[in-house]
Amino acid sequence: MKKSLPTLIAVYALLMAGGVARSQEQTNSEPYVSRADYLKLKAEHDTLKQELESVQSQMHEFLKRSAAPESDPVKTRLQELEKKDAARQTETDQALDDLDKQVKDVKIMAKDSFPGSTKMLLTGYGSAGFIAPDHGGSTLFNATFNPIFLWKLSDRLLFEGELEAQLEGHDTSVALEMAQISYLLNDYLTVSAGKFLNPMNYFVERQHMSWVNKLPDKPLAVYDGLLAEANVGFQLRGGIPVGQTKLGYAFFVANAPELRMDTNSLSAGELGTLEFNNFDNLGNHVAVGGRVGFYPVPELEIGYGFQYADVKPPGGLGSANSLLQSVDLSYVHDSVRLKGIVNVKAQWVWSHVDRFAYDPAGTLGGPFVFNNTRDGGYVQLAYRPSRVANAFIKNLEPVFRFDRLSQARTTTGVNETRYTVGLNYWLGQSTVLKAAYEFDGQSGPEADRHNAVLVQFVTGF
Amino acid sequence: MKLMTRSLLTGSSLVLLCAGGLLLASCSTPASRSATNAPPEKDPVPKTAAPGLGGAQLWAQNCAHCHNVRSPDSYSDAQWDVAMLHMRVRANLTAEEHKKILAFLKSAH
Repeated sequence: MKKSLPTLIAVYALLMAGGVARSQEQTNSEPYVSRADYLKLKAEHDTLKQELESVQSQMHEFLKRSAAPESDPVKTRLQELEKKDAARQTETDQALDDLDKQVKDVKIMAKDSFPGSTKMLLTGYGSAGFIAPDHGGSTLFNATFNPIFLWKLSDRLLFEGELEAQLEGHDTSVALEMAQISYLLNDYLTVSAGKFLNPMNYFVERQHMSWVNKLPDKPLAVYDGLLAEANVGFQLRGGIPVGQTKLGYAFFVANAPELRMDTNSLSAGELGTLEFNNFDNLGNHVAVGGRVGFYPVPELEIGYGFQYADVKPPGGLGSANSLLQSVDLSYVHDSVRLKGIVNVKAQWVWSHVDRFAYDPAGTLGGPFVFNNTRDGGYVQLAYRPSRVANAFIKNLEPVFRFDRLSQARTTTGVNETRYTVGLNYWLGQSTVLKAAYEFDGQSGPEADRHNAVLVQFVTGF
Repeated sequence: MKLMTRSLLTGSSLVLLCAGGLLLASCSTPASRSATNAPPEKDPVPKTAAPGLGGAQLWAQNCAHCHNVRSPDSYSDAQWDVAMLHMRVRANLTAEEHKKILAFLKSAH
């Protein structure tokens, strides 16, 4: 019996242990849960249900808002952003345009600030050509380069300088054509001083430049003839409106020419001519002169010029009064009816030196006593059919010129008359190829014929 | 001196006669045009040197008197400043002509 109690206890213990184990197995596999688990699960379920309802509520709200776009702040915001973006694009484009403009301005400023273009301008002209005499003699080639320096020192102050380098045959020469400084005193008056182109000589002052002159050579009498090409002194000049017309004027005081009578270097025919390159002002004489030009209509200018001086030969053998006079005419008309530009130029000059005794020692067969009177000039007509449609023809320009030098009443006794026909072709506004034939007739004791073909290629820059 | 006077008078008369003819040609009336049944000519440049003219007209008139007109593109503004001051002195331009022509040249390129 004593053995049965521990055995029973052991069996009971085993049964209890088995029951607990069975109970544990039932907890994990059977559909029944404890109350605590149930409550826990219920609480979790309630929480999840509430969260689901909240999400569903938010979804409903979202779907409602999606159904009313006009009130959607997102879309409104998007539209605002689009507008802002467009405005920014416009501003950017405007800024780029402004930047482009500024860059262009800067480029212009940079270009304008290049040396030689701010206040100083280098301009001028150059030429190359030849003269082929028709009656023997060799062809004479020539080339010229005339740089002109313009320096604007202020709105009223200007310096002008011109050099001429010339190759003719084997000889090269360089000369100072002009060096003058001008000051604008007021709207109608300018004062200039220095070496200036002769204001009384219309051809020299306005027409002698190769790209302006219509023919390869220059007319008799007015150039390298009876009038000076340049003077050293000062001048007053300007333009004055007169009603519907205008008056241009220039008056000067300058060096006087020298009366030529050096019997050691001159021929008898050259006695009594005037040497204008008397820049050291031999004899301390001065010349006074001027020119007045009147424009009755814009196409037409009529001018009168004069120069008076007491001239003296080297050596102080007395002196004589000299009076030089010039009348000129310029007519330029762009005619629709004639389909082009008609250009008429004319100038006639007179040179008079009072009675004087030349070669008193008789070295050249003198003495020669005479009134030294010479005259000459030119008339020129040019026509350019600039209104013709044909591109080649509109650049052609036929030219005709008559020029003459009369000095039969001096010891040289030779008159010279020329007729020149020419044809120009303009390659640009200031670039031209000129070809001409010149009929040259002389009369007098030393008369000769000098017909010639002349060709010249010129550009102004 | 008599010869000189006669020569001077003859030459002056020729030039003045020529000028008179050209002046008459420039001032031909509409009546004379209609007499030839020609269409009235429209002048590129008005027949007046009035101060009221514009820079382009003054440019065409004054420059063409001596040489082919240079395009406004030939020079920059600064260069035209210098060139036009030179031409004011050389061609006896008035201050107003100078100002108007310069303004035109600067605006045209």
